[in-house]
Amino acid sequence: MIQHDLDANTITMINFGVREELAAKAAPAPGWAYVPDTGVNSSVTASQPSSRKRARNANPNTSSHDTTAKQDAKILRELAALDRESHRDVSIPVPIRHRDNAGRISHGKVTPAVRKILQSQKTFANHLSDYEALSALASALPQPSAPAPATPAIRTPGTTTPHPASTGKRTHRKRDLNVPPVSTPLRRVSTPSQLATPPPLNSESTTDAPMTDAPILSTDGIVPPASHPADNDPLLMSKIPPLPTQEELEKLLAIPPSSYNEARGEWTEEDRRKPIRKFCEVCGYWGRVKCTRCGGRVCALDCLTLHQEDCFTRYGA
Amino acid sequence: MPTKSSAPQAPSRTLVIDNGAYTMKAGFSSAAGPEECRVIPNCMARDREKHVYIGSQLEKCKDFGDIVFRRPVEKGYLVNWEAEKEIWEHEFFEDKAPSHCDPSETGLILTEAPNALPVLQTNCDQVVFEEFQFASYFRCPGPVLNAYNDVQATFKGPARDPAKPVLPTEIMLLIDSGYSHTTVTPLLQGRPLQSAIRRLDVGGKLMTNYLTRLLSLRQYDMRNDTYLVNEIKEACCYVSRDFHADMEQTWKGTRGEKRVPGSIVKDYVLPDYHSRPKGYMRDHDPSTKKKLGVPGEAEDILTLGNERFTVPELIFNPTDIGLRQSGIAEQVMESLSVLPIGLWPALLANIIVVGGNANISDFIYRLQRDIRALAPAECIVRVARPADPILATWEGGAALATNTEALSTLSVTKQEYDEHGSAWVARRFGGK
Repeated sequence: MIQHDLDANTITMINFGVREELAAKAAPAPGWAYVPDTGVNSSVTASQPSSRKRARNANPNTSSHDTTAKQDAKILRELAALDRESHRDVSIPVPIRHRDNAGRISHGKVTPAVRKILQSQKTFANHLSDYEALSALASALPQPSAPAPATPAIRTPGTTTPHPASTGKRTHRKRDLNVPPVSTPLRRVSTPSQLATPPPLNSESTTDAPMTDAPILSTDGIVPPASHPADNDPLLMSKIPPLPTQEELEKLLAIPPSSYNEARGEWTEEDRRKPIRKFCEVCGYWGRVKCTRCGGRVCALDCLTLHQEDCFTRYGA
Repeated sequence: MPTKSSAPQAPSRTLVIDNGAYTMKAGFSSAAGPEECRVIPNCMARDREKHVYIGSQLEKCKDFGDIVFRRPVEKGYLVNWEAEKEIWEHEFFEDKAPSHCDPSETGLILTEAPNALPVLQTNCDQVVFEEFQFASYFRCPGPVLNAYNDVQATFKGPARDPAKPVLPTEIMLLIDSGYSHTTVTPLLQGRPLQSAIRRLDVGGKLMTNYLTRLLSLRQYDMRNDTYLVNEIKEACCYVSRDFHADMEQTWKGTRGEKRVPGSIVKDYVLPDYHSRPKGYMRDHDPSTKKKLGVPGEAEDILTLGNERFTVPELIFNPTDIGLRQSGIAEQVMESLSVLPIGLWPALLANIIVVGGNANISDFIYRLQRDIRALAPAECIVRVARPADPILATWEGGAALATNTEALSTLSVTKQEYDEHGSAWVARRFGGK
């Protein structure tokens, strides 16, 4: 999975201002592309440092994380390991005695559709990439031959379908590039068209929603407290934002589910600015010291010695 | 629905299954009230003797050393029907099944994680109707069912009138922190506000795996004993109220200035699966370390220091392991940011946390404090967890099933499925 991930990302090498694009899916011939050199390219200055110290301190990305590509890859690898079900690959086949109908009721004939489902050994990652490829295909085609909806499909530029080639941990960085950021927490009402994925083709589904006749949030049963002489005192007045109208709520409830990738929680702008906490790789206390060889963090001399025993002897570290 | 009148008599009993990735919560409910709920490991397991356990058979297992699992639910979504069918057959349909039922006379309420892939939903619908042939069926995101619980009673408010039919809570914000992930779902009248659902990819599995890694690096190799590590996590981990102070307390100090470990440091006595089938936690005793080599003293001990609180900390600070997502409190605010501000006060005042991670001690306290720090000062922030956060979703489903009328408007009958097909059912349940 990682392998795929790294391949998918365009590897860019800087050479005298000429950037070589090695895309995974690019033409087989070696491709060279001239790209406009806009302003100071931090990675160029990093490769041609004026002093060694500056090179070490140069931070290619403006955010606070000071990880190298190597460390990034390590983090990704470790995250993928944490996501696994077990340390080893295991396969536990369904016990054979159940194959014949011994001791259990039969549900009648197995339909072809069900047989296909039961035999499928696809994992969630398989299904997800299928889905991504399918939605990328659907957005690439101008109009499917299938039913032209009476209601025009509202497709805002914000509803980008996830890129098919990029899966896994990195997708969230790329997705929604042209969506207006929703980081301002005190925004009033976002227009549903910005959030909505295209409405379902069939308008029938909206009528399916239960309880359309009842008011969604009624204030009928609530008795307001008795009035108080200081109620109109501007200093004591509490301001409660007005409840959205019925139509607004209806619109909000009618928004179809977003896709798996769209629902992934973001790394908020504010959090990106905060420094990432570093921990000692040996004991888990704050990582206050950096190993001079690999850049790993340790807390103090004891842990550094332990770390370096490992670090200096390991091949290719 | 127009087809409702033509539908046959609704099934009197409903099987409610909260199909989680780690355990499934299953039991019957009817107009007479909910019956007993069983928590069944949703897995097939194989121990060292190559014996295979299915679902609830796992409780017969005595030796969890080197045990491996196959889970049909992956990332919260039901992916592998071959294995799931085996477990369901064993639990519900076989002659000697513990919760035996005849699907053709039973309704089904089945949960899924929010934002499921349409293809998996369709698979699910097809298997339920074509293979098991349930009489009626309601598939919904798990958080939705929690709206049918008595939310005000959870906040120590007045309990609802048991005589009245069960109706969904008007408005609430549900956080479901399970094995695969943690989701934030605002609910209005028992309907999810889909655009505001957020998912944090930190769940029980990630935390157990992280603890496994820490223990394997620092003490014994536990990589083949994740079941045991999960027990250690459940017994020892807690959410820190003051991360920095706890960190200082557990530090061993510098070479010149050794510190005595504080009261946070505990020992976990590992089970040997002969005389001691279960491990347990006890206060740290620095002298026990030397006894390890003594042959008579057959007691293996793991010493847990900062592991106890850095592991659950991942839900609040996923960047600690380089996961580029914001913590759970920020995700709550992210979720609110796409909603009209008029809904904020009500949502913030009715935050319910369900799922196994809600059992970690001080989880609720910390969550409330973190959300409080981010929310507008005028809003009241209330966070609570139901009496049993693991069963809460099932209980909501069981409560819904007592209101047969409400349930029948939500579910789809076998007849309707045969008439309209799976695409119609998918639309009916609000898929794309």
